[in-house]
Amino acid sequence: MNEREALLREISKAQFAAWELHLYLDTHFPDARAVSLMNGYEKKYRALVARYEEKFGPLTAFCDSDERWTAGPWPWEGGKR
Amino acid sequence: MFTYEKKLQYPVNIKKCDPKAAQIIITQYGGPDGELGASLRYLSQRYTMPCDKIKGLLTDIGTEELAHFEMIGAMVYQLTRNLSIEQIKKSGFDTYFVDHTAGIYPVAASGTPWTAAYIQSKGDPITDLHEDLAAEQKARTTYDNILRLVDDPDIIDPIRFLREREIVHYQRFGEALRLATDKLDKKNFYAYNPAFDK
Repeated sequence: MNEREALLREISKAQFAAWELHLYLDTHFPDARAVSLMNGYEKKYRALVARYEEKFGPLTAFCDSDERWTAGPWPWEGGKR
Repeated sequence: MFTYEKKLQYPVNIKKCDPKAAQIIITQYGGPDGELGASLRYLSQRYTMPCDKIKGLLTDIGTEELAHFEMIGAMVYQLTRNLSIEQIKKSGFDTYFVDHTAGIYPVAASGTPWTAAYIQSKGDPITDLHEDLAAEQKARTTYDNILRLVDDPDIIDPIRFLREREIVHYQRFGEALRLATDKLDKKNFYAYNPAFDK
């Protein structure tokens, strides 16, 4: 796993944890412990995304100040050796 | 992956319910040239496109089509809010109502449910991009026809926006086709399929 892939993995971990808590809070708001956990993961997620985008280009369509948005590899192109 | 933004791409605020118009407009929700088919067509075709720029374009347009799908859903919803049984019977909405009440279901104006047979993913970039160009024009004609049939400005405004997007997407697909053919054998674009033959 290269540095870019490793950072994406970290982003996915933080995002998934935040999302799972977000779903839980859809039906359990305001569970204080879940809110605080979610905020923590979300903060971590945002920081990781900022680090990624600075280094490797945009992760979402609206931060493309350069040509890196349409640069590969695309997410479905994994498993290539 | 996808995330949801809690807003429409372009505002939909229809004050007057109109089940007849809803039955016409729903064709862009689940009809043969509708937004659901458009989105699934582009998001499915993108995998085998021959260059990163076209993969990016199909990802972006396929995503925008989902926003259009949502706008049409919002229009049909607002047009069928607070209907009386009398209005349902008089407007001809009864044939939809009996199966779906006022729920939003992907069907064509004729009542035919959405089917993947409306779209193709041929695995040949020239073929797929030509389908995409045709799809945008077919949707543009459908919006033109809708505009012939409605007179409420609350309906016309978002429909005009969606019609305009078809034209912009058509333009972008034309450019994508040029990008694809630029990479092919200039004497015979069909000499090989760049998505299959290596």
